[in-house]
Amino acid sequence: MKYLFVLPLCLLAAPLAAQSTTPADLVAQYSAEAGTEASADRGRDLFLATHTGGKPDTPSCTTCHSPDPKAMGQARTGKPIDPLAPSANSERFTDLKFVEKWFGRNCNSVFGRDCTAAEKADVVAWLSSL
Amino acid sequence: MTDATAPDIPEQKEQVRVWDIWVRLFHWSLVACISAAAVTGFLLGASWIALHIAAGLAAVALVLARIVWGFFGPTHARFADFLRTPSEILSHLKGKDAGRHLGHNPAGGLMMLALMAVILMLGMSGLVGLGGALRTGPLLSLPYATGEVGLELHETLAVLLLVMVLAHVAAAIFESRRSRENLVRSMVTGTKESRPGDHTSYPVQAHPRIAILLIAILAGTAVLLTEADTQTPMGVPVAELDETFMDECTACHLAYHPSLLSGTEWRSIMADLEEHYGEDASFDTETTKQITDWLLAHDASNVQTRPAHLFAGNLRPSNGSMTETRAWNHLHEDVSNERFLRAPVYSQANCSACHKDAEAGWFSPFHIRIPKETSK
Repeated sequence: MKYLFVLPLCLLAAPLAAQSTTPADLVAQYSAEAGTEASADRGRDLFLATHTGGKPDTPSCTTCHSPDPKAMGQARTGKPIDPLAPSANSERFTDLKFVEKWFGRNCNSVFGRDCTAAEKADVVAWLSSL
Repeated sequence: MTDATAPDIPEQKEQVRVWDIWVRLFHWSLVACISAAAVTGFLLGASWIALHIAAGLAAVALVLARIVWGFFGPTHARFADFLRTPSEILSHLKGKDAGRHLGHNPAGGLMMLALMAVILMLGMSGLVGLGGALRTGPLLSLPYATGEVGLELHETLAVLLLVMVLAHVAAAIFESRRSRENLVRSMVTGTKESRPGDHTSYPVQAHPRIAILLIAILAGTAVLLTEADTQTPMGVPVAELDETFMDECTACHLAYHPSLLSGTEWRSIMADLEEHYGEDASFDTETTKQITDWLLAHDASNVQTRPAHLFAGNLRPSNGSMTETRAWNHLHEDVSNERFLRAPVYSQANCSACHKDAEAGWFSPFHIRIPKETSK
């Protein structure tokens, strides 16, 4: 009976809490979803490779994010993008909704499709290993 | 006295005072102001607008002071000395009025009147354009369309003035040769040699005190008019930027002000966020609706700014970019494409790199600062 009160409160409070997840939790969550172990090496290759199938202006993650995830990136508009590696930017991979929004947009821009849970697990694993 | 005596006149000829010190100061100050206004207006870009306006307003002030002096100055400074009837001007041009005019000749007098009139109209049309189109200055609440008319008129008058100045200079050279005297030097020294057969003018006394009083009243009125500048102009964007709009849209680009585009264009852009200028920028439905509603409530139809009239409604139908519009390219033709691509600008989409007021939707020429190139 108690849960009926506590649960909605938790759900309401969730967006308020900046820290809704951690890089490690995300890797675990995506790996579980994919049913495979995450691989930082595969994540690195995916991140640095040039892809086809997406939008012509954004063939790679590195079009906007720096090939060095500890460095600042830059959007095509000239606007700087904070580093992706959690070691350089502690806010990375702490907000599930934010992470999902950007995987959703950017995978479509670069690959022309959604990323698989395995791909997300690999990339987050690589970025948080740096 | 006949022309036959002319060669016998001794070397040191008698000099008469023609142009008083104020007329000469006026003339050469006006040359400086008109030159500065012409160079900044015709040749230099929008970032020189402050100097252009200062030079133009100074020219107007000089002309107004000269008009006062035209009523209260000494002999040759007065309108009465050089403004003639059309028949007198015609007979002068036909060479029928013998003898030299020490002051302006009848044709020159007409040119003086025309130059003063055109300079005053230039100042007025400039202020109308500044107020209506750029929402600055004493006329800052005029409708935008009126401002546009002012700017067009200003450009036409500027070309006209240029032609008139060239004619004035040509006439001075022509007359100098014809009458074998250096008219330009006379405008510096103020004197001309006295010659037999000169037209005689009835000498009149200047009234400097009355002139100064009138000029002071004019100056005071001008100060009162500029005080009006501190009002908040009508038709400028005032709404604060919506929080969701700021959070979401500025992740990738600066906050393009809602007043830059028409409601139709915003609706079209927001309906196609998956193909947003080469990237997927989609939101959940609720956020999309929230941002769209806010954009529509503050679109171009709400303001009287220049960008709201130049860009809004002019995008290509399939969500084109403002940088593809003719107006945009015309306004940026002085800036090379490389300049846009290099650090620290990087992109034509990065308005705020140079327009410090871009996110306020103004794009005032007073707030353009083109940054120095950096290595990265």
